[in-house]
Amino acid sequence: MVASSPFGSSIKRREDPRLITGAGHYTDDVRLPGMLSMAILRSPHAHARIVNIDTSAAKAMPGVVAIYTGADLVDLVAPVPCAWQPKNSDIKVPEYRPLAVDTVRYVGDGVAAVVAENRYMAEDAAAAINVQYDTLPVVVHQLDAMKDGAPQLYDSVPNNVAFHFHLEGGDVDAAFQKADLTFKQRLVNQRLIPNAMETRGAVASYQRGSNELTLWCTTQNPHIVRFLMSLCTNIPETQIRVLSQDIGGGFGSKIAMQAGEMIASVISKDLLRPIKWMEDRSENYVSTTHGRDHVDDVEVAAMKDGRVVGLKVTAYANMGAYLSTAAPGVPTWLFTVTQSGAYDIPNVASDVYGVLTNTTATDAYRGAGRPEATYLIERVMDLVAKKLNLDPTEVRRKNFIPSDAFPYSIASGAIAYDSGDYDKTLDRALEMIDYAALRKEQEQARAEGRLFGVGFSTYIEVCGLAPSAAAGAMGFGGGLYESAVVRVHPTGKVTVLTGINPQGQGEGTTFAQLLNGELGVPVEDIEIVWGDTDRIPMGWGTYGSRSTAVGGSALVFAARKVRDKMMKIGAHLLEVSPEEVVFDQGSVHVKGAPDQVKSFGEIALAAYTAWNMPEGVTPGLDESYFFDPVSNTFPFGAHVCVVEIDKDSGKADVRRYVAVDDVGNVINPMIVDGQIHGGIAQGLAQAVLETAVYDDNGQLLSGTMMDYAIPKASSFPNYELDRTVTPCPFNPMGLKGVGEAGTIASTPAIMNAIVDALSPLGVEHFDMPASPQRIWQLVHEQKGN
Amino acid sequence: MKITGKHTINAPRDQVWGRLIDPDSIAACLPGVETLDKVGDDEYSMAMNIGIGMVKGTYTGKVRLSNMNEPTDYQMYVEGSGRPGFIKGTGTVRLADGENSTTDIEYNGDVEVGGPVGAVAQRMLGGVANRMVGQFFGCVESKITGE
Amino acid sequence: MKQQVTITVNGTTHTNEVEPRLLLVHYLRDVLDLTGTHVGCDTSQCGACTIEMNGSAVKSCTVLAVQADGAEITTIEGLAKGGELHPIQEGFWEMHGLQCGFCTPGMIMTSVNLLKNNPHPTEAEIRHGLEGNLCRCTGYQNIVKAIQYAADKMSAEPAAAGDD
Repeated sequence: MVASSPFGSSIKRREDPRLITGAGHYTDDVRLPGMLSMAILRSPHAHARIVNIDTSAAKAMPGVVAIYTGADLVDLVAPVPCAWQPKNSDIKVPEYRPLAVDTVRYVGDGVAAVVAENRYMAEDAAAAINVQYDTLPVVVHQLDAMKDGAPQLYDSVPNNVAFHFHLEGGDVDAAFQKADLTFKQRLVNQRLIPNAMETRGAVASYQRGSNELTLWCTTQNPHIVRFLMSLCTNIPETQIRVLSQDIGGGFGSKIAMQAGEMIASVISKDLLRPIKWMEDRSENYVSTTHGRDHVDDVEVAAMKDGRVVGLKVTAYANMGAYLSTAAPGVPTWLFTVTQSGAYDIPNVASDVYGVLTNTTATDAYRGAGRPEATYLIERVMDLVAKKLNLDPTEVRRKNFIPSDAFPYSIASGAIAYDSGDYDKTLDRALEMIDYAALRKEQEQARAEGRLFGVGFSTYIEVCGLAPSAAAGAMGFGGGLYESAVVRVHPTGKVTVLTGINPQGQGEGTTFAQLLNGELGVPVEDIEIVWGDTDRIPMGWGTYGSRSTAVGGSALVFAARKVRDKMMKIGAHLLEVSPEEVVFDQGSVHVKGAPDQVKSFGEIALAAYTAWNMPEGVTPGLDESYFFDPVSNTFPFGAHVCVVEIDKDSGKADVRRYVAVDDVGNVINPMIVDGQIHGGIAQGLAQAVLETAVYDDNGQLLSGTMMDYAIPKASSFPNYELDRTVTPCPFNPMGLKGVGEAGTIASTPAIMNAIVDALSPLGVEHFDMPASPQRIWQLVHEQKGN
Repeated sequence: MKITGKHTINAPRDQVWGRLIDPDSIAACLPGVETLDKVGDDEYSMAMNIGIGMVKGTYTGKVRLSNMNEPTDYQMYVEGSGRPGFIKGTGTVRLADGENSTTDIEYNGDVEVGGPVGAVAQRMLGGVANRMVGQFFGCVESKITGE
Repeated sequence: MKQQVTITVNGTTHTNEVEPRLLLVHYLRDVLDLTGTHVGCDTSQCGACTIEMNGSAVKSCTVLAVQADGAEITTIEGLAKGGELHPIQEGFWEMHGLQCGFCTPGMIMTSVNLLKNNPHPTEAEIRHGLEGNLCRCTGYQNIVKAIQYAADKMSAEPAAAGDD
């Protein structure tokens, strides 16, 4: 296939032939000679002192090779790092040992690691370890944890408040004084369990002689793993190779350093045997990070016409028992900079408290901070509309940042939106849903006593976080550029090395389309390589919907370096000057004389034989590029959800779902639609299905897929999609991002629809999850009144 | 996990009281008890075999009776741990005279399970706990009435 | 302690000594090295380990290897015949019915069985038929389309159904 434009072609994914025939290569599929299996014994108590660990019986069991406790690992590995420490937040990072040393602080905290000939033996032996615990008081909820007299997790973190973050812009107090309407609302964003279908795990193999650690692991960011692993184990980066090819979903839960990966690595080094550790699902539910878990108190100042002039937010984020790798950045920067959404709100103040509790740590989960912010601001828009008796679309339009105001700096000045046309997506969504007819249908339904609601979400998201200098200023412990290598081989085939690390988002296909657009090389001649730190230059991985906007741009720039060199070589072979040739569909020909041409393959071979190179041009066709965007990019859109609530069961059924998104230029519409579909389902599921529940003792009650409601095929209907295109001006292809858009948009859309459906019962707000049970209760209490 | 319930035993209160706090009755009537040995005043060590949902296993631990106000109320504390995890429960048992020399028993307590059993068995717990309590009182009753 | 089993997988008969507690999914993955069948949960919810055993779709994490003694099994690796994709595999590829691919082998094996029992399912019947399989990436919309694609194709060319 040779395309002249990299945009708009829904070619089938090149990743799929392997995956649909069972030939994928996930971490659990790695098999090495002499490989041992590791099981981690985890604390059944949410807070306890470890009095004694007796491993004698376990050690004597068949197949057991070694058992390590927390104390055994102290000299082998440093604590699990927290790599995003927002500045000016007075952050206190407590020490989190891969295996607990004296105290366990959540159900699932690692206590001992058993290494045995196979997994059955390892688990048997883990169960035979006798641990004596002295239980301590437990605190599960962030608001309880902050109270005086609450159980303390760490002496070094008074009142369990790990950080307090503040961001403001404008004059909030003045705004509240002049406002026609002010009100307060508490919004709860419940705790979620990411549930990537592949659990976390690792195979670590430390080679004697070369002193090299090879680590296969299921991560969204292999270079970050190598970087942090090196810091934690004192194995030089030059001796660590992280491999991560097929990844069974991430959703943010495979960003953080996992204690299990670190433990497997240092035990492999200690025993000089390959070690495999794979979580089972129950273990995944307690040992891999959770998401969300906010309580947000919002105060709103608005004018009679619906203009929101001031917003005060106090957020309490439950961080769990320790600060996970990227966790503090989520409720601080990622949450606060998108709090104003698509709206021009001149006065904003946000305070965020990150609170430690005896629960599994939270960290990024699809959207990470932005779903919390979007839920907040989209609920605020509906509340303003309700209180002023205005149409929710009218209030939104009244507050939209106008399309000619970009780049637009938010009130705090912390970030600037790149481009947008928010009316356009809303117009299209209203047209698709036939808004006037829909409201008539609702009137009719209400007259019949049915609970029928329409909800909107005119969201924005920030992705392609950048530039790296801003990342540094935000306290992010790394850069946010991305790397690419375009390596043309002598036969004209091309290998692309990219620092991103997809988990199903399809860059194996879309990046080939991008390169095809730049160099004209047929897609089938291009190999896209990720997930190997030995082959690929430093890159930061796949999260935050950044891969195409940042990694794809790096690829385009590297390709352009290749193209420029090919033009020089081609011109030389054609015996003209480089100014006299054009690069067209993969070949170089003399301007105005397309028959005087050198093919891609001819130039590639010439570059590598180097028999006849132009003056000053080095042999080879192998170019790399590190792309650091000058700014972030902000996809946006308008989602409309129509629900009908069955009064007898309390179930909110999605009748229609329309999504009009603007993710900039689109390379492969089929893949973009797929991202939107999956994202919408995940966001809807937060609203009506999913919730992680702890009891007061810190036991996770929703500890299996039996008890935690993941959406099924029958949960939601087909989604109706369309797009507008507003390119990003800050990268060469005008790309934005799409991985998280659906999730960010859909939660508020359906919650607004549910509240709208319930409004005849006098409801102005309803917290998530809007499960059938909770809705049924509300409906029946109202009836009782 | 809270458990509460009521049970009526067809026997007078003093007889019921005697049985409820008697280690031999506890050993005989609490389902799954394999051994029960006195280790202190109103305190016993115990081995118990319990199946919660799909997770069956043996738990060793202790039972303690306290705050005994004969013959009105007492508190019971049970804890056990084993390969499937741990179980811990505390509860208050109240006795009152019922009609026709029966005894009305009211119990309420809090049960916690943790560890592997906790992950898969939480939602079975209420049913299991209530069933065990029911079996216990039923057994106590049959011991008295069978005398 | 170990027990002998004879199991035919994808047309090849294997005889092995296995522990009585060995799960069928671990037999397939670890003894036969057929790693296309995945493990996604411990409680038979996710369906990633679905295979076909004696003509039925079975979650291989819920079956012991010894229970499969004498059985005929097809796994994802055995579905394509002679390098030719099964129409359901083709449907998943054409309709973008997968993203990360982890649930896909189980999803495909369930779909094979679904269409065997109901060659012309409605959308609702497809969605209902997938109740035992979880996908976290796709939102199921394109999985439904993939199965509709396969149903159309298989009814147009019944010989290509491939479930011999």
